[in-house]
Amino acid sequence: MNKQFKVSRRSFMKLGGTAATVAASLQSSRLVAMEQDLGGTDYSSVDGAKLETVPYTCLACNIEDGGVAHVENGRVVKLEGNMDHPNTRGKLCAKGNSGFLHIYDPDRIMTPLVRTGARGEGKWKRISYDEATAMLAEKLRAVIDRSRKEGDPSILNEIVFKYGRDRSGGAVKRFVSALGSSALLNHTNVCESSKKVGMEPTWGPDIESCDWANTKYILNFGSNILETAYFMNPNAQRLVDGVVGNKAKLVSFDVRLSNTSGYADEWFAPYPGTDGVVALAMAHVIMNEGLYDADFIRDWTNVTAEGLIEHLKPYTPEFAEGESGIAASDIRRVAREFAGVKPATVFSYRGPCKHVYGSYQEASIMLLPIITGNVEKKGGYCLPRGMGWDQPSPVPPKAKAPSAIAAPPLYPLASHHVSTHAPYMVMDGEAKVSVWMTYYDNPVYTYPSSGIWADFLKDEKLVPFLVSFSPYMSETTELSDLIIPDVTYLERHDPESMPGGLYPCLSIRQAVVKPLGNTQEFRQTLVDVIHKVDADGALDIKKYFNFKSPEDWVRSHFDANAKLQKDGGYDFLKKKGVWPIYGKVDKETAKIVDGNGNEVEPEYNLYKGKVSDADMEGAEIDEKGTIHKNGKTIGVQVNGVNYTGFGTPSGKIEIFKESYKKYGFNPMPVYKRLASRDKGADELVLVTYKVNVHTQSRTASLKYLAELYHKNPMWISPNTAAKREIADGDLVRVTSKLGYIVTRAHVTEGIHPDVVAISTACGHSAYGRLAQLKHKEPDSEWALGGDPDVTNNVWWDDKGVHPNPIIRLAVDPIGGSQGWFDTTVTVTKAEANDKYGDSQYDREVAMADYKETLRYTYTGDMHRKNHPEVDIDWSNLPLPGGH
Amino acid sequence: MAVGLQAEPSFGVPGKKRWAMVIDLRRCIGCMACVCADKAEFDVPLGVWRTTVKVSDTGVYPKVKKHFMPRLCNHCDNPPCVRNCPTEATYKHEDGFVLQRYERCISCRTCIAACPYNARHVLPNNRSRVKIGGVVDKCTFCQHRVEKGLVPACVQTCLGRARIFGDINDTTSEVARLVATQTVTVLKADKGTKPQVYYIKPDRTIVDQVLATPTSAAAKSDAEAFYRHNNGSKFYAGVL
Repeated sequence: MNKQFKVSRRSFMKLGGTAATVAASLQSSRLVAMEQDLGGTDYSSVDGAKLETVPYTCLACNIEDGGVAHVENGRVVKLEGNMDHPNTRGKLCAKGNSGFLHIYDPDRIMTPLVRTGARGEGKWKRISYDEATAMLAEKLRAVIDRSRKEGDPSILNEIVFKYGRDRSGGAVKRFVSALGSSALLNHTNVCESSKKVGMEPTWGPDIESCDWANTKYILNFGSNILETAYFMNPNAQRLVDGVVGNKAKLVSFDVRLSNTSGYADEWFAPYPGTDGVVALAMAHVIMNEGLYDADFIRDWTNVTAEGLIEHLKPYTPEFAEGESGIAASDIRRVAREFAGVKPATVFSYRGPCKHVYGSYQEASIMLLPIITGNVEKKGGYCLPRGMGWDQPSPVPPKAKAPSAIAAPPLYPLASHHVSTHAPYMVMDGEAKVSVWMTYYDNPVYTYPSSGIWADFLKDEKLVPFLVSFSPYMSETTELSDLIIPDVTYLERHDPESMPGGLYPCLSIRQAVVKPLGNTQEFRQTLVDVIHKVDADGALDIKKYFNFKSPEDWVRSHFDANAKLQKDGGYDFLKKKGVWPIYGKVDKETAKIVDGNGNEVEPEYNLYKGKVSDADMEGAEIDEKGTIHKNGKTIGVQVNGVNYTGFGTPSGKIEIFKESYKKYGFNPMPVYKRLASRDKGADELVLVTYKVNVHTQSRTASLKYLAELYHKNPMWISPNTAAKREIADGDLVRVTSKLGYIVTRAHVTEGIHPDVVAISTACGHSAYGRLAQLKHKEPDSEWALGGDPDVTNNVWWDDKGVHPNPIIRLAVDPIGGSQGWFDTTVTVTKAEANDKYGDSQYDREVAMADYKETLRYTYTGDMHRKNHPEVDIDWSNLPLPGGH
Repeated sequence: MAVGLQAEPSFGVPGKKRWAMVIDLRRCIGCMACVCADKAEFDVPLGVWRTTVKVSDTGVYPKVKKHFMPRLCNHCDNPPCVRNCPTEATYKHEDGFVLQRYERCISCRTCIAACPYNARHVLPNNRSRVKIGGVVDKCTFCQHRVEKGLVPACVQTCLGRARIFGDINDTTSEVARLVATQTVTVLKADKGTKPQVYYIKPDRTIVDQVLATPTSAAAKSDAEAFYRHNNGSKFYAGVL
């Protein structure tokens, strides 16, 4: 039960009594004539007492906003943004505000559990953290001993660790490396990896940071800036400042009317997967009409204006209209507007890149800010600004053998890897698993063809031992053999730095309250496991985990930061949550201002830093101006000045990507027509989306958020629905080649007529009782226990239907992204015996989809067929694994 | 002339304080941060809200817009709820807060019926941490914060800085300047309640009560579930 907090009738009366006295006399003490403070402190709404306030870094999603927790009698009662954080500026989103509910989730797992029934049967025995870490250590040591006995380091890769969100500052990598394994799998290919692989070879980093507040024109491609996209909170705040305060125009491209597109001055709905060709056509207009920044293209890119004009020749607005459905006249007009206004900026996220060939789409969109010279300008399209921290010594060496599932060899350019392929590769015998650890990850719910993950993780031959560190009984965790629950993000310690705005800063996560009950921080679990794996000292790995406490570990990351130490070091971070403090939030403009009220402007033109004379010592400048030293690019000489430049081999923006060409991909931004563009007349493209009040899978049991959004009917346009005799609210069957789901139709004007959209926020078969609307069921004996509010006051009766069982695996051969928006479906009225929530998937089709998507990889037959224009020796492509 | 336990109207009275909120609808992005911050601040149970944000779409594809409409108690300068409360449980504070004294409330719902804005609700029992229920409750403009020099919780967290709070009688305050310089509207001005929540409205945004009526099947079925569970309150939120 939730017994740790009680409010007595008397403490309530205290405040009520005060109010009554005031009311009786109808007088109050005069308040000081001043504008109110924006935040940083809070008082109990029950008895008016000042609350204890502790800073932290949010982890409701991945944006890592700065927050402060207000604590009353040892319980977190309220969260708000940290006023000292220059990018969060005191504000949190709906998820951030609701984050403390994670701590008090009635279905939080409060003790390690070992499975007693069949896998997934839900029968558990409570054990101690000591027993649980010993059990895991024994399994790990067995693999290590076998590897040592056989003298084969590749056996160590049978230790697999897969995470979704790793915000541990290097702890997870340290752990897996210490065990000698390379099989560390992320989740990035179901997120935005092809965006990253479109960007990184172009200019270095994997994301842009727009100067929203100071811009005059914003082009948004497939990103839901105001609800969910990367850096939603800091971006949304400043976008509104730009649009309302600075009178910027917002033009948004999205197949669905998101809140961002609904707020935009103009919304265009391109056919799914055609954002890139619209961008290429805009670039065509800008180049052909001489609206480009000739100096910037000449000095700072590796192409010429003439070359670009030639390359863009086929991408006329008329061609783009044919592909995207966006009128050529609109493409011309928006291109001219965008190029004619300075400063202007561009943002994109998952809409364009989550397709097969999504990397080309991102590279095409990037052309627009580059050719107009908006890069790194005030109000423009800037590089991300982050800060790093050191790893405490000693650091374990890199594992000896590469893991095929961690970095599939057929995807040499996919620097963020291809985690979707792991089950198929293991089923095909390309990799072996002995221990699979899952952390902040729920592929059984969040991955395409999600049924394959359930089949895979249930199979004890393929996955002999499955361990979860989750404090929630997710669809994946419920299949585990052993659960060693972590604490929530408000009870743990991590170093952080997120480029959420234009001010680089460090921040920390710290325990704002002690871990609830006897739960243990994940960091401590790692230390305990390593010390038990190497109890005899034979492996000599304990030295990597000699930390007195989780906090001691995190503190050690900052010891070598001299500037921070001067300001007070880790203790400064503990007190303020963030470093450095740039200034205060101006009450009227929300800009960061100094003591005199003047804006503390962020730095711009980062690529124009000067290479110091000392660094130039012994450096060489090649014929293109690139400055090399010790085999590395350290800058680029432009017009006789030695600049630090961009993080690319040439030091310039590489619109032409040699790395793509090496594997037969087009080195220039191009458009490739997708199979979904040629769908059957009765078919529709199924897309998914996130909403402003939910993450992908972790928030469905947070009551405030579930109350706001708990069901996800399928968006369909009125004509499309009418043709199928579907009325608003009707039960429908949505069928892909993979299977079908039965859900309800939400008929809306806000969607492309060839598209249906289903949000990923709901339709859980696990993740606590509230997510499944089983809140009337009794508490599990391992769980924290009932919140009387949830037990009694839930009023909604629909938990939604999840789309992932019918979304087909299809991966971008360049960036490795899952093509979330490439599945075509038929939509019909539900059949007689269909029930809401029915779902069926065909494993054979899932396996066939995997084989099919491999045909697009650089060694596959479809790759060459799709790239006749690439002039390389096709018979001498690099060998897989040779990268 | 004050009726009930009601301070004299203070709007525009020199030397008096009059708290007010301006909601700049050009800046509201419907993020729901205010709704959640408010729930947390007061341990507001499921099924009731002190503030909501209504969402609606207008237009025909491809010219479609979204509209977001934050709602809360208007802290009227002439509040009908106060006039109608038989037990003097609800009262108007001299600085303009319209407040509720739980210990005097008999939950007769007269105030709920009297409020033209559906801004009041009966508190369900069984909350998470605060043990008060079965009485009428409402937005307080976060009096407990405001009197300590802070803005209300919804203003504190508002991502778009759409919610602005201050003393409208202080001509130098931001709310006073906005009301003086922008075209503002209030809800149901004809009721004579003198509401103190002012909306800056772009041309395209609708502010009338039609937004309270769900139109899509998804919203209607939610609303039906809500009404089934929670008789008496029409102050219903949802983001669909």
